[in-house]
Amino acid sequence: MQDFLELAVGAAASGCIYGLLALAYLVMIRPTGIINFAVGEWAMVGAFAGFLLLTQWHWPYALGMAAMLVFMLLVGWATERVAVRPLLEKAAPVLAPILALLGMLVVFRESISLLFGPDPHQVPYPFGYGRLEFGPLAGSYQSFFMIGVSLVVFGGAWYFFERTVAGKCFEAVALNRRAAALMGINLARVTALSFAAGGAIAGLAGILIGPNISAHYLMGVPLAIQGFTALVIGGVGRVAGALLGGLLLAFAEQLTVRYAPVPPGYAQGVPLVLLMIFLIVRPTGLLRARA
Amino acid sequence: MRGQWKKLLCAAAAALIVPGVQAQNTIKIGIITDKVGVAKPYAEPVTDGAIFAANEINAKGGVLGKKIELQIEDDQGKPDVSATMARKLVEDGAVFILSLSLTPATQQAQSVTLETKTPHLTPSNSGDTLTTQINNPYFWQTGPLGSTQIATLLSYARARNYKQVALVGDNSDLGQLLAKFFRMGLEKAGIQVVSEELIPRGATTAEPQMQKVRAAKPQALVSAGVLTAENVLMLKAYRQMGLKMPILASYNFSVPVYMSVAQGLIDGVTFVDAYDPDKPAVKQFVAGFKKAMGKEPYNLNGYGYDGMYLVADAIRRAGSTDKEKIREAMQATKGLHGVMGSKEAAYGFPEGKRTGFDPNGMVVRVYEGDKQGRVLHVGLK
Amino acid sequence: MKRAVLWVGGAVVLAAAAFFMGDYHNDVYRKLLLWIALALSYNFIFGIAGQVTFSHFAFYGIGAYGIVILLFYAALPWPLAILGAIALCVVLALAVAIPATRLEGFYLALATMAFAQLFIVVLNEGGAVTGGTGGLASYRLPRILGLDFSGRTYTVVIVLLVLATAAILRRIDNSWFGRACRAVRDNPEAAAAMGIDVARTKVIAFTVASVLAGIAGMAYAFVDNTVNPPIFGLENAFLLLFMVIVGGTGRHAGAVVGTVLLYLLPFVLSPLIGQHHALVFGVLMVAAILLQPRGLIGLYDRVARR
Repeated sequence: MQDFLELAVGAAASGCIYGLLALAYLVMIRPTGIINFAVGEWAMVGAFAGFLLLTQWHWPYALGMAAMLVFMLLVGWATERVAVRPLLEKAAPVLAPILALLGMLVVFRESISLLFGPDPHQVPYPFGYGRLEFGPLAGSYQSFFMIGVSLVVFGGAWYFFERTVAGKCFEAVALNRRAAALMGINLARVTALSFAAGGAIAGLAGILIGPNISAHYLMGVPLAIQGFTALVIGGVGRVAGALLGGLLLAFAEQLTVRYAPVPPGYAQGVPLVLLMIFLIVRPTGLLRARA
Repeated sequence: MRGQWKKLLCAAAAALIVPGVQAQNTIKIGIITDKVGVAKPYAEPVTDGAIFAANEINAKGGVLGKKIELQIEDDQGKPDVSATMARKLVEDGAVFILSLSLTPATQQAQSVTLETKTPHLTPSNSGDTLTTQINNPYFWQTGPLGSTQIATLLSYARARNYKQVALVGDNSDLGQLLAKFFRMGLEKAGIQVVSEELIPRGATTAEPQMQKVRAAKPQALVSAGVLTAENVLMLKAYRQMGLKMPILASYNFSVPVYMSVAQGLIDGVTFVDAYDPDKPAVKQFVAGFKKAMGKEPYNLNGYGYDGMYLVADAIRRAGSTDKEKIREAMQATKGLHGVMGSKEAAYGFPEGKRTGFDPNGMVVRVYEGDKQGRVLHVGLK
Repeated sequence: MKRAVLWVGGAVVLAAAAFFMGDYHNDVYRKLLLWIALALSYNFIFGIAGQVTFSHFAFYGIGAYGIVILLFYAALPWPLAILGAIALCVVLALAVAIPATRLEGFYLALATMAFAQLFIVVLNEGGAVTGGTGGLASYRLPRILGLDFSGRTYTVVIVLLVLATAAILRRIDNSWFGRACRAVRDNPEAAAAMGIDVARTKVIAFTVASVLAGIAGMAYAFVDNTVNPPIFGLENAFLLLFMVIVGGTGRHAGAVVGTVLLYLLPFVLSPLIGQHHALVFGVLMVAAILLQPRGLIGLYDRVARR
């Protein structure tokens, strides 16, 4: 039982990272319908920004993180401007932007690989590498930090979409693009902002998980796949769904490894089988979008 | 649709009319490496070592009076492109091919070198099955085998008399091969593997795996993983859980990147290596490499360096560029001292075997603080 | 009649090309042809039937591993082995397709992605049957009817296979079933209202295309006489998607154009720009989509229209 509680904090932390990536997907999918698989590479860029600013240039953590977020906002905005806006303006088929973004995935990955080399690099821990006991739960400082930051981000996202006028605009665009445009909502701006936000959220996920997994050029694709899985489990419609999906995925993965009586290689397969069964039983995800 | 085919045909015909004629005064050696894929962190330094060696040999007059001409192809880390590149090298007149990419890529390239009867060497892959999966008399392996690694670790640990250990690996192809041969070595020595865990590529934590290790109460932890980021995850979880058992690690831990990316986590970890910095040949290599390439070399460069010298030596003894003669000369290699290996280690292929790394040639070193420290043990004594 | 002459003529030209090329070019040609076969069948599921799937390469692998295991480990005679491998593809395709009819868009993509990943896990953990992470390599193309088919002759076999795949897919596309698939792709409710059994159409389209992928896989197994897990990984599914979309979704010629371009591009770029070739590849892909969102086949159309 003690193992479970100890695992719970770590799994919740991983779940929050998956959830942040799912949220990044979500803020871009809702207004535009575009699946941006490059979020994993954005997380990688965030992690490398952390390496550069914090490890190499020794900036204070808060300043470094703020600078990274600003940079990622620009990266997200720039990606939209270069790879998505021209296609939306040309009324291209729905899949074209998805593919252009896959091309950007390769561009990001190769650029980082050429700039920093193939070896992994260290991203620093803001609070050092220690262990915190919180009642019966125990985990590393970083795990608690990840959970804390994620809750703040999710809280902010929920507030934005549910309570602010700007958030309602996003919802309107998600529900019906043409009607939203007719109502005077600036579609281009909404799209640009959603990509900028997606970039910042993904970069944040990268700098949070970076100290654990080390910043390296191959870290993007597994994160992108996990984030997408979390999104779909939670249901593409709701912010809370992204977090829920991430937590479920992380717990399923880690509890399977710890407790399932299968040989170690097969433990990777169990979450996949569960996922396939889940999709067949509940094809729209756990939380339905609000009507 | 046919228009495209006509264009392809014309391009192919044109490529034939301009044949891959090699100048009569060079010896072409092919290198298949990974410049963009998953093997890049390892393939890149090994290739640099091979290039340095070829330049050094050419500066001293080359082989049989001719200069070595390198043709380097990128297999992108994809095994089936590796086979295609092997064909390209053979067609372009390579008399020897060096495979510096990942293990399955080297394996798939062998189907070509067997068919075309082209000598083929991997100086860095350590998967034991490369020489056994197919019977290819034109293929040799001089990387430090997984079985040699575990045997060396166990001979070092003999005094501790371990009876129960945990084995932690990853799901990469080489990681699984090493785990398999490590397990075989452990069982042969009468040691029970009480916990075998696997950290998948892309994992965000290794805590569940290490919890299982902790629950099994092993006396030591043997690491067979070859993915750096995932091994660091293991070290982090090890510290988080407050585990204290000694860690015996594969040669992957000998790569210097651990000194920067595993700071504070790696003190006391023992690992097998094939690089003894006190060896005179190594000191000479370091000086030469630094002067020529402008940076400090490390063990991975040495594998490529030794591989190129082995090839050059075989061609010299064959006395010609005939592939059959080279094959015979390579198989007859004996007692060749290189940069890698302990002070007494030598490369050779006795009794018709095609694995050439001296089974006694590895050393066990330990991390002292965050630095690669002294040699604790040599060979299989 | 004219159609038949074109097909036969095409077959002769493509097959003859094998004999004018060296070993290396033959190898590239063979592998390119198999990718074309895959792209044509994937274009059918994705472009014509509108299902976003990532399992196509898994079926390529099922065919490849299937034929090797049945032929050499179960020691079946080759006609039975071929039928057995096809049957295996059919069974697994139905197993995936029938539950998948409930899924749309993202969910179908994710389920097939999970299936593809599961396939790799099974290959890696398959022990002696699948050869584990090292795969299977200790086999050779057997003599069929006393004839040795390796080398250039095998290229001819693959040419015929690809043409047969193309012919079958064209035939289906032009039939009422092809129109039913397009109807289901464009508007499932309207299709159902017109009396089309949407679920059955999706299942048949998926199964037919996946089986064709499996057959291409059977041919692949003997190209290098090696099968291993990295060959069939998920990244290839993304590359296949690229090829079909960059070429032109829904068009057979588009699939061919996209495949030829994307498969050959790294081979052309690598000697020219060394380790940066992957970056240039990514940039070119983005550029291709930005310039021709409906696929490069659009350029050909524009020229043809003049």
